[in-house]
Order: sequence, then C-alpha cells, then structure tokens
Amino acid sequence: MRARLDATRVLLRIAFRNLVASRVRTVIIGLIVLVGALIVVVGSSMMESIDQGMRTSIQGSLGGQLQVYSSASEGQLELYGGIRGESLLEPIPDFARVKEVLGKVPNVKMIVPMGIDQALVATGNVFDVTLAKLREDVRQLQASPGDAEVRRGLEARKAHVQRLIALLAEELTQARVLVDPNGRDASLRKAQRADLDHAAVPAFWIEFDRDPLAGLEFLENKVTPLAMDSGFTFIRYVGTDVAAFMKAFELAEVAEGTAIPPGQRGILLGKQYAEEWLKLKNARRLDQIKDKRDRFHARIAKEEELQRWVKDTRSRAREILAQLDPLQAAEAERRLRPALEAPAGEELPALLARLFDLDDANFDRHYQVFYEQLAPMLRLYKISVGDVITIKAPGKTGAFNAVNVKVYGFIQYRGIEKSGIAGTTSVVDLQSFRDLYGYVTSDKAEELAKIRTQMGATQVSREEAEAALFGGEGPGRQVETTRAAAIDERQLLAGVGAKRKAAKAEETRAYTQEEIDHGVALNAAILLHDPGRIRESQAAVQAAADAAGLKLKVIDWEAASGMVGQFVLLLRGILIFAVIIFFGVALVIINNAMVMAALARVKEVGTMRAIGAQRRFVVGMLLVEIITVSVVFGLAGAALGGGVVAVIRATGGIPATSDLLFFLFSGPALLPRIGGTSVVASLVLVLGVAVASALYPAWIAMRVTPVEAMSTED
Amino acid sequence: MSIIQVRDVTKVYLLGKTQVHALRGVSLTVDKGEFLSVAGPSGSGKTTLLNLIGCVDTPTTGLVEVGGLDTSKLTERALTDLRLHQIGFIFQSFNLVQVLSVFQNIEFPLLLQGGLTKAERAARVNGLLEATGIGEYGRHRPSELSGGQRQRVAVARALVTRPALVLADEPTANLDSQTGQNIIDLMRDMNRKDGTTFIFSTHDPKVMAHASAIIRIADGLVAVRELVGATA
Ligand SMILES: Nc1ncnc2c1ncn2[C@@H]1O[C@H](COP(=O)(O)OP(=O)(O)O)[C@@H](O)[C@H]1O
Ligand SMILES: [Mg+2]
Repeated sequence: MRARLDATRVLLRIAFRNLVASRVRTVIIGLIVLVGALIVVVGSSMMESIDQGMRTSIQGSLGGQLQVYSSASEGQLELYGGIRGESLLEPIPDFARVKEVLGKVPNVKMIVPMGIDQALVATGNVFDVTLAKLREDVRQLQASPGDAEVRRGLEARKAHVQRLIALLAEELTQARVLVDPNGRDASLRKAQRADLDHAAVPAFWIEFDRDPLAGLEFLENKVTPLAMDSGFTFIRYVGTDVAAFMKAFELAEVAEGTAIPPGQRGILLGKQYAEEWLKLKNARRLDQIKDKRDRFHARIAKEEELQRWVKDTRSRAREILAQLDPLQAAEAERRLRPALEAPAGEELPALLARLFDLDDANFDRHYQVFYEQLAPMLRLYKISVGDVITIKAPGKTGAFNAVNVKVYGFIQYRGIEKSGIAGTTSVVDLQSFRDLYGYVTSDKAEELAKIRTQMGATQVSREEAEAALFGGEGPGRQVETTRAAAIDERQLLAGVGAKRKAAKAEETRAYTQEEIDHGVALNAAILLHDPGRIRESQAAVQAAADAAGLKLKVIDWEAASGMVGQFVLLLRGILIFAVIIFFGVALVIINNAMVMAALARVKEVGTMRAIGAQRRFVVGMLLVEIITVSVVFGLAGAALGGGVVAVIRATGGIPATSDLLFFLFSGPALLPRIGGTSVVASLVLVLGVAVASALYPAWIAMRVTPVEAMSTED
Repeated sequence: MSIIQVRDVTKVYLLGKTQVHALRGVSLTVDKGEFLSVAGPSGSGKTTLLNLIGCVDTPTTGLVEVGGLDTSKLTERALTDLRLHQIGFIFQSFNLVQVLSVFQNIEFPLLLQGGLTKAERAARVNGLLEATGIGEYGRHRPSELSGGQRQRVAVARALVTRPALVLADEPTANLDSQTGQNIIDLMRDMNRKDGTTFIFSTHDPKVMAHASAIIRIADGLVAVRELVGATA
C-alpha cells in the first residue's frame, strides 16, 4: 500500500514537471481541448434550449408526453402534419374505453382525445360580407318600411356597395392591362365586365330600390365572383374535449374573447395563425416592420425587405377603403387629418397614402396613428371573435362535410406565444370534428338506430349506414354533402350567412361528458404526473392497452411530433457531426504531439524501467499528463463556454433572423442555458478523446525496453 | 558464494537479414563481494553480457541465474522487481531524470520500492550525497551539473536501495581520466564497506587495475578470467 503511494507520488511529480517542462506542447494540446470543451458547452447549451423550447412547445400545446393512436393505422401519427399532409389514422372507435383503461395506469394524469385535420373556412370577402349586411338591411326595411333610421342605414350600405363596385372596376381595369384581351377566356371576361358596368350605373340602383331582392340576386351571383380576394382560407385544427384540453395544456390561454362554454360547440382560432393569415395585411405588415425595427434595429432605409413591406402596405390601402362605408370613411378622414397634420379637405385615399408613406423617422408615429385612430373602425381579422364560421372538410367518403361553429376567441400559449409550433393550430370541439369527419357521434348513433328500425334490419353495414346518413339532409342538420370532388367556392361562401339560423339550436346545445367521451377520436394525448418517467410509463400504457385488447400504438411526444421532431433530431445530428469532426482532428493532433513526446522520452522511460519502474508506472505517467491537461483546460473551456453563454443571455440571446430560426428557437431569440449535463458531457467527451489520443503513445511507452536506456548514444 | 551464474550463454542479434553473434557461449560465475571488471575491445560483447546479467535482455540459449533465480522463468513484472530490489545500474551516459532534482533522482528507486519513511529516505540519500562528494548539489537539477558530478548522482542512485549487485557499463567512458579515477575509487569504497558486488565493463587498463578480477572477452567468448593479485 505504502509502496503504491510513494510510487504514485513520484509518478505525479514527474508527470506534472514534464508538463511544465514542455510548456509549448502542453499549451497546444490544452488549447485544442479548451476550444473543444467550449464548442461542446456552447453548442450543447444551445441545443438544450432548442430542445427545451421544442419540448415546452410540443408537450405544452398538443403533444403531452405520450400519444396513442390505432395500431391499425396506415400512417404514423404526426401532430404537425407530414410532407404528404395529415396523417392517415384509423379512428379509435370509442374513446371512452381508452380513457377508462389507460386512466388506471400509474403516473397517467390525463387523457385528452384528439382529431387533427385541415379544413376550409369561409371567411367571406369584404364584398360578400357587405352584401350579406345589405340583405339584412333590406329585410329590416321590409319589416318596418317607415323607419327612418333603418332607411338611413340602408342608404349608407348601398353607398358602400357602390364604392366597392367602383374599386372593383378599377382593379379589373388594372388587371386587364396585364392580360391579352383576345386570349383565352376573353369572352368570359368581357361578359364579367359588362355585369360590373351594369351594376355601376345609376339605373341599376333605381331598379334596386324598386325590387331590392332581384338586385341583390344579381349582385350576389354576378358581381361577387369578380371580387379577387379569396373568400376562404385553410385552417389546421384539433378537435378535442375542449375543457380537458385547456386543463391538460396549462400554458393554453384564450388571448381574446372567452373560453368555449363547457360541452358546447365552438372554435378557438390559433393566435399565431390568425396573426399570420387572418389579419388585415396592412396591420400585419406594420407589426412586422415594428418587430424588425424594435428587436433587430433594422431600418427601412437600409433593409430591402422592410422597403418591400412598406410598398406592400401602400398598395393595399384599397383593402381599407373597401371596408369603410361612406359614413365611416368620413369619420376616418376626420380622425386622420389632424393626426397626420394633413391639409384640410384631404380625402381618405390621399390620407391613407400619407399614413403608409413610411420611413424611419415617421414609422413609430404612424404606427400609433394606425392602431389608435383607424384600427378600431376596421375589421382587423378576416374572422372576428363572435363570428359564426363555416368549416368544411372532406369527410371519410370524400364528400365535403360542413359545420358552423362560433369563434369564441383566439388561443395562445403562455411563454411560447411566438413559437412556430404552438398557436398555429386552432381548437375545435370534438362533436364538430366528428361531424366534419363523418364519424358516428352519439347524435348520429340515435339516427342510425332509427334508420335501422325503419329498414327493419338488424345488421346495417357501416357504409350503408353512412350512405343513409349523409345522403339526405335532415332539418336542422349541419352536415351536408356535396358530391363535387373539387372545392366549390360559391358553395363555401354560401355557408356564411344562410345556415346560421338553422344551426342555432345545435350551436348552443351543451354536450355531456358522456357524449363527448363516447365516440370517435383519432388519437389521444396522455399527460403524466411525472414527465421524467416517460419511458417507464410508455411501456406501462402500452402494456395496459394490449392487455385490454385496445390495439393502440403508444409513442412519445418526440416521435409524435413527426417532421418537427426529426428536424430537431437532424440539427442535433449536425451538431454531433461537427463535434465529431472537430474531435477527430483534435484526436490526431493530440495523438501526434503525444507520440512525439513519448519518442523523445524513450531513453528516460527506458532508464526508469531499468531502475525498476513497472510498465504501468510509465503508462500511468503519460496518462496522468494528458488527463491533467484535459481536465484543467477542459474545465477552463467549459467555464469560458459558460461565460460565452452568459454573455449571449445578457445581450438578449441569439436573435431569430429568419422564420426557420424563429420556429427553431420557439420565439424571437434563443437564450441558451447551461445544463449541468452539458458541462459534464463535454468534460467526459473531452477527457475521452484525450485519453483515446494518448493510448497509442502510452502503448509506445509501454513497449520501451530497459535495453534502450543502455544504448550509449545520447 | 555465487550471486551470478552464467552458463553456455549465446546471444544472436538479427540485424536486417544477417545474424550477429554477440555472445558465442559464455560461462561465468560471480561471487558475492567481487569487484569485477569485464574487459575487451569495442564490439566484443561486454554490453550484451551486462544486459543479460542485469535482466534487461534475455539470452538466445543458455542459462542466466541471478541470486539463484533462473531469469528465463520470471515474468516481465518479476524481472522488473528483481532489477528494483537486487540490482543497481550505472549507465555510461548517466541517464538521470531531467525534471527531478539530484536529491529526487537518487530517491527515485526508494519511492518505487516504497516502505521507507520520508526521514529514512532522506537519511539514506543524504548519506550517499555526502559519500559521493556532491552534498551541496541535492537541490540542483542534473542539467546544472558537470559530467563527473552527474555520474556521481548515477552511482548514488544505483546504491541507494543497497542492492546486492551493481552493474556499470563503461561508467568512466564519458569522463576525463581524473574524474573516472574518482568514480572508480568511489565504487571501490562502497564495495569494501558494504560488500556490494560490482561488475563493470571497461577497456581502460587503468580502470581495470582496480578490479579484484578481470574477465577478458573477445569476439563473444571469455578469453580468460584473471585475478588481480593485490586485491584478492
Ligand atoms: N541491438 C543490437 N542489434 C544488432 N547487433 C547488436 C546489437 N547490440 C549489439 N550488437 C552487436 O553485437 C556485438 C557486441 O556488441 P556489444 O555487446 O555492444 O559490444 P561492446 O559493448 O563490447 O562494445 C557487436 O558486433 C554489436 O554490433
Ligand atoms: Mg558496449
């Protein structure tokens, strides 16, 4: 024991003194190790916070810790969609059963049923919405013909429509310059133009006053289709037990509006999605420019992108003009003139041009004027809180199903409001999802039973039942079918107003928990009490499902995130690859330096061996040298890496300068965080590489024979 | 009583494709307490013989016994221990550890052996520093010393474990004759006082004169073993 201790002491002494004696070599190896540790610490802490961001975004907004779906599914569950669109999942026929079985598994906190899909939403273009209002005004006047207030409203509305027609005519004239007047569809365009001109002349409006319904008919059928901005948009939604969803995903909050009342139909639009796709483009552009200016200190004068946005804003002033009826336009003029210090009498188009003539000096002021003076008069989002919207989606049979749901608010997720993952998916009640998908809900089960008795059959095949269900449209039903495979825009738009009344009863009916649970879901999110035990729980959930014969596949959130998760995986792969390359090079350099050191010391090592030092002594000596260098410089590198991370954090993080980065960072900037594991991992890695690179030189040292000390040449 | 038995030892080196017969059948017995000189011209096999006796090399054929142990039957580790505990080496080119002080160089084998207290080690090292006449250089690095002084350190290091046998391969070759003389005197002193067995090679007749016996080898064979009458 004592002998070992003495030998170890002299071993350490020689090793350390050798390090000092060959300073240059020590510093070279040390610096390589230092840079390596630095890269690993900074890289892994960036990766860790990307991971953490993704984890929070995915687990907190849709994923939970585990996901289950039918093992009979053709495709894989991809919560955020794959390259080929949404996952092809076989439905889980009775969610209640899943909830019952899996709810008993230890560590399972909650099970939230889901069905994710894309759907078309009729937003109605301005023309369409205004005409709907005009029809309402006409109806009111017919109900109370003498009401002066109603008449004034109608007149203002008419003036609005006339303005829209004028704007449309202008737009069409501009568009025509671009197309060949004698080309294909030329005759169609001529006919369209004739229709528009017909509606623009005073005679049409005199006739309108005589027979408003015929006039409306003409406007709706002939003129509306000419409005160029599309009247529908795609949304991605998750149909779910909304109450359970809001409880399970604690970060979820209603940004505007209210929560969907318990058990009722309704939709919460993804806030992120709304900002990007539903917001009035002018407002959106202003937001974007402000963001770039405030956070990245970008300047309109310098950045081509900002100049493009300014130009875009200017050219879209017409969209604002179209939204305002003459009374509102006058009010807008009254507000904007003093705010913009415009000459008296300047009209709205000129005022808007002035407002959107943005530069770095006036931006902040004009931004404020826009939001304080103009925005309150505008429909800022194509869909507003309180609207009832029609959602259409191709059902299982390929035919379109549609439901009307009330927009209760926008949904966003605390702390990750700007994440590209959370907040892009809208949340819809489960019944509406089932209707859209054509799955049998409890309502339909009743109907199915009725059909069954009518047909006198005890056995009805699923296809037959569905055909019977979807073939005709019962009174008060929301489900309709179009046989057309293509999207019929007119029909979509028709959904906006027409169906509202009819569906009223169903819209406000509250469903019981029973009804919500007993029915189809495509997948379900499982939230755990202790997310740290995810592996163990995954196995337990799978086992429980198998035991109950549920035919479910259980995957973790990372797998469920599909492309998103793979992207992070890819990124990590790149980092690891870079680290491997670096350490590969480091290994070679360190190895070379150590081999040279070992060769230079052959005589010394031989002498020690002759005097009586064992092989392990000389090998140990070399390893101590390299390990000491690695640990000292590795720690220094890790500390330096910690410093770099601290500096990055202190200066506000690494800004996300592109959409991709924004998405990756789950927000506007990446705040890397030092994880204990990343430091330990980096040290282990550095040490491993150093020791590995010392192995060959150590082998050389081991093979040095004492004879070599005897040789006379020095 | 013999400490070394060498019987019919041959050593063949392979130099490329040619075989070099460094030793062609050497037999030899060395008794405890001898002060033996191995003499012969350059290339005669002196170093080879010492390497075999010192257990740093193995014979092609024949038997080498050190302290009654057949060295061919010992493991690498056991041979190392044998060198550590039984044998002291003095190299022609001194071979000191550059990063250690003179004191630490001498102490080195004691630390490898272990078992002594710090005070015991210091006593031994200091005793040898005095005995070899470099008492004031204990804290110096080898590079700060002259050749003769370095060889004294090497002698002290070889003796510090009180080995039964000390091997020295041309210990005076790199020294001027006066310094060489002093080193030989020093070794002779140790031999007389402690009865340590010394085997040293040389081709310097003046050095040989101090030996109790001379083994003359030529061409890998022992030509003659002569006693130097005066010191027998
Ligand atoms: N490692 C070796 N490889 C090949 N030949 C060697 C080796 N060592 C010694 N020899 C040869 O063996 C012979 C004896 O050498 P050596 O024992 O060193 O003689 P000395 O020490 O008497 O000068 C010489 O001819 C020498 O060239
Ligand atoms: Mg020689």
